Amino acid sequence: MSSNQWEIGPIFRALMRNKVGAILIAIQIAVTMTIVVNSIFIILERAQRIERDSGIDEVNSFYLTTTGFGENFDPKSTAFNDLELIRNTPGVLDAIQINAIPVSGSGWSMSFQTEPGEEKETQGGAIYMVDEHAIDALDLEVIAGENFLPIDVRFRQPGVRDWPDNVLITKVLAESLFPDTPYQNVVGKTIYISQTEPMIVKGIVDKIQAPWVGWDDLEHTVLTPEITGFESNRYYVRAQAGQRDAIMPVIEEALASSNKQRIIRGMRTVQETRERSYRGDTAMIKILSTTMVILTIVTGLGIVGLASFSVNRRKKQIGTRRALGASQGSIVRYFMIENFLISTVGVSLGAALTVILNMLLVEMFSLNALDWYFVPAGMIVLWVVGQLAVFGPAKKAATIPPAMATRTV
Amino acid sequence: MLTMTDVKKVFRTDLIETHALRDFNLQVDEGEFVAVTGPSGSGKTTFLNIAGLLETFEGGTYQLDGQNVSHLNDRQRSQLRNEKIGFIFQSFNLIPDLNLFDNVDVPLRYRGFKRNERKKRIEESLELVGLANRMKHLPSQLSGGQQQRVAIARALAGNPRFLLADEPTGNLDTKMALSVLELLKQINQQGTTIVMVTHDQHLASQAKRNIYVRDGQVSEMSGIAEPAHIEMHQAAIG
Amino acid sequence: MFTYYLRLAMKSIKRNPILSALMITAIGLGIGASMTTVTVNYLMSANPIPHKSEQLFYVQLDSWSEFEPAREPNEPPDQITWTEATNLMQANQAYRQSAMASTGGVIEPQGQDEKPFMASIRLAFSDFFPMFDVPFLYGSGWPDSSDKNRDYVVVISKATNERVFGGENSIGRTIRIVGENFRVVGVLDDWLLVPRFYDVTTGAFDETEEVFMPFYMKQELELTNGGNTNCWKTPEGEGFTAFLQSECVNYQMWVELRNDNEKAQYMNFLDNYVNEQKSLGRFARPLNNRLSNVMEWMENQEVVADDAQIMMWVSFMFLLVCLLNTIGLLLAKFTGKAAEIGLRRAVGASKTDLFIQHLVETACIGIAGGILGLGLAYLGLEGIKSLYGEFVQNLVGLDVTMMASAILLALVSSILAGMYPTWRACNIAPASQLKS
Repeated sequence: MSSNQWEIGPIFRALMRNKVGAILIAIQIAVTMTIVVNSIFIILERAQRIERDSGIDEVNSFYLTTTGFGENFDPKSTAFNDLELIRNTPGVLDAIQINAIPVSGSGWSMSFQTEPGEEKETQGGAIYMVDEHAIDALDLEVIAGENFLPIDVRFRQPGVRDWPDNVLITKVLAESLFPDTPYQNVVGKTIYISQTEPMIVKGIVDKIQAPWVGWDDLEHTVLTPEITGFESNRYYVRAQAGQRDAIMPVIEEALASSNKQRIIRGMRTVQETRERSYRGDTAMIKILSTTMVILTIVTGLGIVGLASFSVNRRKKQIGTRRALGASQGSIVRYFMIENFLISTVGVSLGAALTVILNMLLVEMFSLNALDWYFVPAGMIVLWVVGQLAVFGPAKKAATIPPAMATRTV
Repeated sequence: MLTMTDVKKVFRTDLIETHALRDFNLQVDEGEFVAVTGPSGSGKTTFLNIAGLLETFEGGTYQLDGQNVSHLNDRQRSQLRNEKIGFIFQSFNLIPDLNLFDNVDVPLRYRGFKRNERKKRIEESLELVGLANRMKHLPSQLSGGQQQRVAIARALAGNPRFLLADEPTGNLDTKMALSVLELLKQINQQGTTIVMVTHDQHLASQAKRNIYVRDGQVSEMSGIAEPAHIEMHQAAIG
Repeated sequence: MFTYYLRLAMKSIKRNPILSALMITAIGLGIGASMTTVTVNYLMSANPIPHKSEQLFYVQLDSWSEFEPAREPNEPPDQITWTEATNLMQANQAYRQSAMASTGGVIEPQGQDEKPFMASIRLAFSDFFPMFDVPFLYGSGWPDSSDKNRDYVVVISKATNERVFGGENSIGRTIRIVGENFRVVGVLDDWLLVPRFYDVTTGAFDETEEVFMPFYMKQELELTNGGNTNCWKTPEGEGFTAFLQSECVNYQMWVELRNDNEKAQYMNFLDNYVNEQKSLGRFARPLNNRLSNVMEWMENQEVVADDAQIMMWVSFMFLLVCLLNTIGLLLAKFTGKAAEIGLRRAVGASKTDLFIQHLVETACIGIAGGILGLGLAYLGLEGIKSLYGEFVQNLVGLDVTMMASAILLALVSSILAGMYPTWRACNIAPASQLKS
């Protein structure tokens, strides 16, 4: 087949005689591309956010809160009794009392520094108050130094402001605090909390996220060895594989009946908590995906509709072309090329609009800038959509018999 | 040039069968100018469509330029139309969105000629019909007669052996009709075989040979053209 | 004549059912998507207290560290300290004023069947109720004297009254909260604030609280901190009092100022107050006090979620595509009717007649699209509810205004879309299409 048969010149000139229809489709393609590319970009970013690993055994874990009331409520004995009760429940792998739950959205953060005093460089870190069982309960690994010993763990009364002497920190925090030191060598170093209070890094744990999924320093985490005597306490329970759902009601019931001076509330699996924390992102992904798909279908159907009309209107012309020697393939090709030309204008305009919209999103909503390759990828997608959409009407056009040329309409 | 033997064509609907052509026999020799006439519904147009390979037929054989075309597929028939047959239609069938140059270019593109070859042929054929200076015009800017001349240029550009004209002057006034007819005669004199379908007896009488179709069959053939056409010729020139 | 056009329109729409369906669907989808996102944005940015949002002001004082602002660029903290909350209340310089805080506690209903439950508590001053036009089912707020006397009185929500007292008039009855006995002085009627503007630090679309109690109970009963607590400096010393006296912010302050004069005076008072504190060695930062009215404060706190805005813009672009689609299809359709139009012109229809005829047809498609869009918007809002869960409950209602605007938007946009194709169609010369 020679390139002469592609008829690009005549198709283009004929298109220029019917600009409005072509421009309408081109703009539709451009706007569709703009939305699709920016949506995909946002979707991928959100998906990446959601997929970040919290570092804990989410699947097998749950937690609950107990709030005591009345004069007879003794937080300290309750905490120790509760922990013993939970840990001895069959199906429980390990359990801890903890002040906040990773990825849950609420917690406690402090600033840490490597030199004491005001106006020093600080690193924020989330605090989890736990005992030596945390490593097993949270499924962490001490990759340097050592875990807490029971003797390290103190009882913290409400209103207490100071901090335990030994802490475990995450590898990421170790590297942020001591950028020039291998994390293994951070073990034994002193860091300062509340500007001047020293604490010694007893060990480095591999990874555990802070409670706030939107926080920049998501893996800046400090474990402090303490059992708290607050009115409300949380217990975090890691079940043996597959046992979680079975033991949740058992533990709730056991705790409730062991002490009537409190209420048990907010029992929830970590999976559900993650789902809630990322609900906005999940929703955004679903909404944008749906929008994108529907929009592409609308644009596709628009192309189908207009092409069908154009085929109907050009029946005689198509018959004539067939009479003059066009094969069915030539007719199909004619419409495909016509669409390709329109799409090319559309996706070129679309490339510009895509970048502009992204710039606006960056400006107004501090989104990230688009990676360049999204633009050509989007262009190809819209080209393909156009070609697929026009293929049906083009095939229909090819079935118009050559005898249409001699028919008097 | 064209030999049809016992060609049959039946149109079927749910209720009835219509025999558009039955045992249609016709022989047209190279260089002839044949007019096919007949009343409406006689099968003229069906004959034209089959002769032009625009439609298939059920029985009999059809030989075009020595080749049996009875069982060709769509693609082969397209190619044959493109190479051997030039079409002239009653309503010209120019493509409204294309200028004259591009209109004449249409069959040449399908032929796969090179760019320069196409340009040369387009210019020559538009020259032949006297419209070389209006190549960039759109069909809508021309009169009917001029449009038909463009259509003739388009038909001739590919140097077909055989020209099929379907009521070529049906949409034209007398004066324009005469000039178009004159052009066809001129083309015929240069060796191109022409078969013209028309219901206009007067026009048919200008052809070298007349065929009358009735009820899907060739019913009658008349001889050589009458001298009247010479006066017409003069009228056209004058 | 109009009914004739209507009949023609119906015929024309029925003649190309697929094409008409395509156009109606396109407009419906565009309108549906837009109305869904507009509704969410509209409700998020709604003025929760329109008649006095200009007179209610949120107070910000820059008590933060001299080395860094609470929030870039040089924003004062969005809450105040206990010290400021109590000092400003004692100064009593506004027409109405209430410092406030959130906390929580266990309610122990007296009946045996009802278990103790956790309730959200708002600590506030007596002005809270008149200032925010809080609706009462029974009783009223507590008197000024109860603030100072630290009376054990509460106002409870309708739901709490249902749960604890079975919905009876409980004024004067005793309710046990955080281990203490309180006397009920008021029961609220349904009180839905969207957004819950008086405290947006934890979630602008949370429900109003279940219990309201005098602010000083915080100190009296050492109640826990709800919401966000931010400190630039560690409290000095141990215990609850040390914490109250610290530089930690956990309290909100609203004042009602009836005119610009009162506002200027109050601003002046705040500046004087801060200067006085500076002389005591606090407030190291330059003067940076703020009084924001309700809508300014909502804006400052970015109550309308970014995602909701992004979705709204995306849906507008979606609508644009759908309209372009419709223009294209109408253009094709009316071009296909060229012969009919030419004929009508030939038999004497004026351009205006034809223009109106086709506009009526377009409007019919628009209205059908609008109705479909309304249905889709309803589904869209249901979808948003199921995706985001309970916290958007109050953001996804379709009211009459929104319904009317959906239809109107569909009508206007479809007529706009139909304008050009109609104009083109009407410019077909009479009888030009009659030949061949």
